[in-house]
Amino acid sequence: MTKGILLFCFDTPDTKYHKVLERCVELCNRNLRLEITVVTDIHTYKRLKPLGFINYKLIEPELGNTKNRKEWRNVDRHMAYELSPYDTTLVMDIDYFPFTDNLRQFLDTDYDFLISKQAYDLTNRNSFDHRRWSMIDMVWATVLVFRKGAKAKRIFDMVKYVKKYYPYFNELYRIYGKNFRNDYAFAIALEQANGFIHYDTLPIRLPTLPPDCEIVKFTDRGVAWKYGENINYTEDQDVHVLNKELMHV
Amino acid sequence: MDIGSLKKESDLSFDIAVAKRNALEKANSRLVVVYKEHIFRADAQTINLVKNLEQEHAVPFYILDTNNNPVEISDPKEFLHVLIQRNQEAMRSYHQMSKTFAKRND
Repeated sequence: MTKGILLFCFDTPDTKYHKVLERCVELCNRNLRLEITVVTDIHTYKRLKPLGFINYKLIEPELGNTKNRKEWRNVDRHMAYELSPYDTTLVMDIDYFPFTDNLRQFLDTDYDFLISKQAYDLTNRNSFDHRRWSMIDMVWATVLVFRKGAKAKRIFDMVKYVKKYYPYFNELYRIYGKNFRNDYAFAIALEQANGFIHYDTLPIRLPTLPPDCEIVKFTDRGVAWKYGENINYTEDQDVHVLNKELMHV
Repeated sequence: MDIGSLKKESDLSFDIAVAKRNALEKANSRLVVVYKEHIFRADAQTINLVKNLEQEHAVPFYILDTNNNPVEISDPKEFLHVLIQRNQEAMRSYHQMSKTFAKRND
């Protein structure tokens, strides 16, 4: 039974995501100690510094999606099932920094598919509790674990279907944002594939720093951030950083 | 107390409160533990339930994991050990953090 981490990373004209990936891989190696496969394109690959023993899968990312009027190369997550060389895979956003080994244990369960439904705002503003801007609960595709088999395949096939007809599903579920989001694609697919009833989830809230938080320090153990006049920090706790300027710290 | 000092005190209290809340969240995340391919929360409720069943019920016994799936527990001593170890690891870390908050408040 093979286990590993699958990361997606594509530079855009505005953001050097490969810098974010370099930090993420370093923490994965130190804390999760699992084999890593990076899905990227040739242009991003050429910019990466040597990261040690890493598998690369080069693809041409699908273009066309945007976020805040900037190019957003996020639509290839539905291919995780086919691209993963592992029996059990942890798929993570590269801006989710594993400062602990908490996620590692979820690869040792008998669940076929696990995803988190909740995020925790580290700035105490509960920014993510009011995001029910749709008729369904959103999931956070930031971190998901799947084991190859009929059930996981069915879910990913459903994600592909949702992606293909996303404008329709977007209207059907009255989702506020019109751009493609993996969070909603997976939420819709899980609801459809599970007969519109409860599905299994990760019992963790993803610690998250909202986009207006500027990262002022990034160490091996944690991050310090600033928003308004407030400065705070956390150590030995996983952190999902939404402000991509962190690559300059 | 002038308004400047009051604001400073208030800001400090806010920062400490946020840091404390984050430390508790960190502890709660650490309480999640996988045992025999199922996910549990190593909190007081689970520990007490397993301890009680160990004392009052023959093995194996059955409990629910975090997704309400039933799990057979055939070695309660081992399970209890895992739960208590994880619980105390999380609480020790939270306790240490709490001490630093107390210092910041002095």
